[in-house]
Amino acid sequence: MTLLDNIPPAFLLIIGAFILLILPSSARKIGAIALAGFGFYAISQLSEGSRVLPEFLGFDLTLLRVDSTSKAFGYIFTLSAFGALVFSWNEQSRLQNTAALAYVGSALGVVFAGDMISWYLFWEMMAISSTFLVLARNTKTSRLAAQRYILVHLAGGLVLLTGILLAIHESGSIDFTKENIYQNATAKNFILIGILINAAAVPFSSWLPDAYPESTVFGGIILSAYTTKTAVYTLVRGFPGEEILIPIGCIMAVYGIIYALLENDMRRILAYSIINQVGFMVCGVGIGTKLAIAGVVAHAFCHIIYKALLWMSAGAVLYRTGKSKCTELGGLYKTMPITMVLGTIGALAISGVPFTSGFISKTLITASAENQNLIWAWLALEVASAGVFLHAGIKFPFFVFFNVDRGLRPKEAPRAMVAGMGLMAFFCIYLGVNPNHLYSILPNNEILSEKNSFYEIYVYHFDHVVTMFQMLIFSGLTFFLFLPMLRRTPTISIDFDWFYRKGAKLFYWSMDKAFNSINKAAEHIIIKTFLPTLVQFIVVAPATITVFLLRPIWQESLDADKNSIKKREQELIAKFSSGTFPVAYSAVFVLIFIGILIFLGRSSS
Amino acid sequence: MATKKKATRKNIPTKKVKPENRASKNTSPTIDNPYISPSFWKAMWIICSISLLLELFVHRHKHFEELESSILGNMSNWFGFYGMFGLLACSSCILLAKGLSVFLKEKEDYYDDTP
Repeated sequence: MTLLDNIPPAFLLIIGAFILLILPSSARKIGAIALAGFGFYAISQLSEGSRVLPEFLGFDLTLLRVDSTSKAFGYIFTLSAFGALVFSWNEQSRLQNTAALAYVGSALGVVFAGDMISWYLFWEMMAISSTFLVLARNTKTSRLAAQRYILVHLAGGLVLLTGILLAIHESGSIDFTKENIYQNATAKNFILIGILINAAAVPFSSWLPDAYPESTVFGGIILSAYTTKTAVYTLVRGFPGEEILIPIGCIMAVYGIIYALLENDMRRILAYSIINQVGFMVCGVGIGTKLAIAGVVAHAFCHIIYKALLWMSAGAVLYRTGKSKCTELGGLYKTMPITMVLGTIGALAISGVPFTSGFISKTLITASAENQNLIWAWLALEVASAGVFLHAGIKFPFFVFFNVDRGLRPKEAPRAMVAGMGLMAFFCIYLGVNPNHLYSILPNNEILSEKNSFYEIYVYHFDHVVTMFQMLIFSGLTFFLFLPMLRRTPTISIDFDWFYRKGAKLFYWSMDKAFNSINKAAEHIIIKTFLPTLVQFIVVAPATITVFLLRPIWQESLDADKNSIKKREQELIAKFSSGTFPVAYSAVFVLIFIGILIFLGRSSS
Repeated sequence: MATKKKATRKNIPTKKVKPENRASKNTSPTIDNPYISPSFWKAMWIICSISLLLELFVHRHKHFEELESSILGNMSNWFGFYGMFGLLACSSCILLAKGLSVFLKEKEDYYDDTP
């Protein structure tokens, strides 16, 4: 298929997304699902290598850089979109369909971009299209969250753009390679920060748990997959082996756990666990060995599947009950058993329980830390692995489906939702027991060729299975031992967004105080004091001067009669203030004025 | 693991939960007092012991062989390290979260007056 081989998958989805706008409801839904499926097929047909497109702004853009890394991300992006679209058959709206497909399309654009200009353009398209998925919830809180979300991303985009422009200026090439980025240290730092904002790295992390839980049921599933994972992809491309990423990743992994433990909203718990999981990937990129990079791609692949599944099960609960707080949920296993079972599969997969997808991907990253003797990184990742089981593996299903019965008796999730969740749950287990299928599409897969079979992982390395199981079961025990301390309260947790949310208010207050007090002072000095004085002066001064000049004349002519002089003075002042003079007076003034001018002219010459 | 999940599902929804259900209707919905049945605890302890026992019968590949001087590296090869690690890591996470909650937890209307 030479035609498909040269069409960027991004174009297929973005153009398709806008065509769907004009279709009637059912055709649109079928079309969206078919488009995601076709995108997957189109990616499978791409042959490896880079394809340059005609000139744009004087540069040759590379819209297709196809290799195992970009293809692996392409597969999972379209697969996850397919599952999410099936799941949300009952919910999708026209706006959401188009926004979601344009978002997925632009994420694919970033993944296949071989140059920094098209990377940036697709990067910004992602930010804009994803905002509509938050806006689609159509509540006041979602509108405000969307506002903050887009502002953070536009700021991040500008930081990235600065870095890209510096890098292009320094290297003279627009190719998106590590060599080009690393030629100028400032450019590198700007690009790294720009990417880390999208990766939700601490302290740029709070936009994620702020915005995602405010989106629609469908929006949450779609959003959970793309922005952070394209950031991970660009890190894999531009920053493998960048050591600063190791501590950043470890901090993200632990930060995600602590905040997820504090949270009450089920979708916010899942949002924090995204940061925790992306922390593993960022750390893996920092380690940068072949095994680590393969592990990062594998983990991104598996993560998208089980995280979509978790968001789906939370979404199904939200769809049926309209509630998402742990303090309002509980006991749902009675009427939503299928959602509970499928959600639990996702929870087990994210925890890395043996025979699920998380086990075969997370262990690659921890093994690479171990191989490099990075003992502290390894320790932090192991803490994070144990902690994941605590917050996402047990806390989420326990507080939503078990805990105390709050008398909620919603119906089981609609069939389409069950189908979407079933598909994702199938992949969680399928990849867990068939690791070779995932490993074969990874970059650097030659190093995994001897370790990729079921036998190798589960029989030969049975000790790993036992130790992992041991760690998880003891983590589970800890959860139940500490259950009284983990009781949910109807509260929120202060995160880094405090700085710009309360900060915005403080900024507004200080601007209000600063500028409005200047305004008030200016009004007081100029309008209330200076101008009346000036007016008074203009009115009184000529009169006073004239009186002063005329007084000797009046004294002579009126025989110094004080009363008549005073009367004359009052008459004159009244004439000045009303501006009414006999013509003769005016003529005299004009003559005096001309005389003064002539005198001044003479004396100066 | 499958056994554990079975235990979770089997034990929590048993008849013993019912008094709790009735009680919860009369109490404030913000106060949680979930009922964990004794049989669930029994199952939990049994599975934990099994996971430790299993370790006796497998040959563990050594971690951090090159880091002989590292105490942590050596500890990772001790018997029951992962179980104790899970217990310690999780309890420290919970205690840390609990400690931080003093500073970080706020009422839900905390941001209501902000943009």
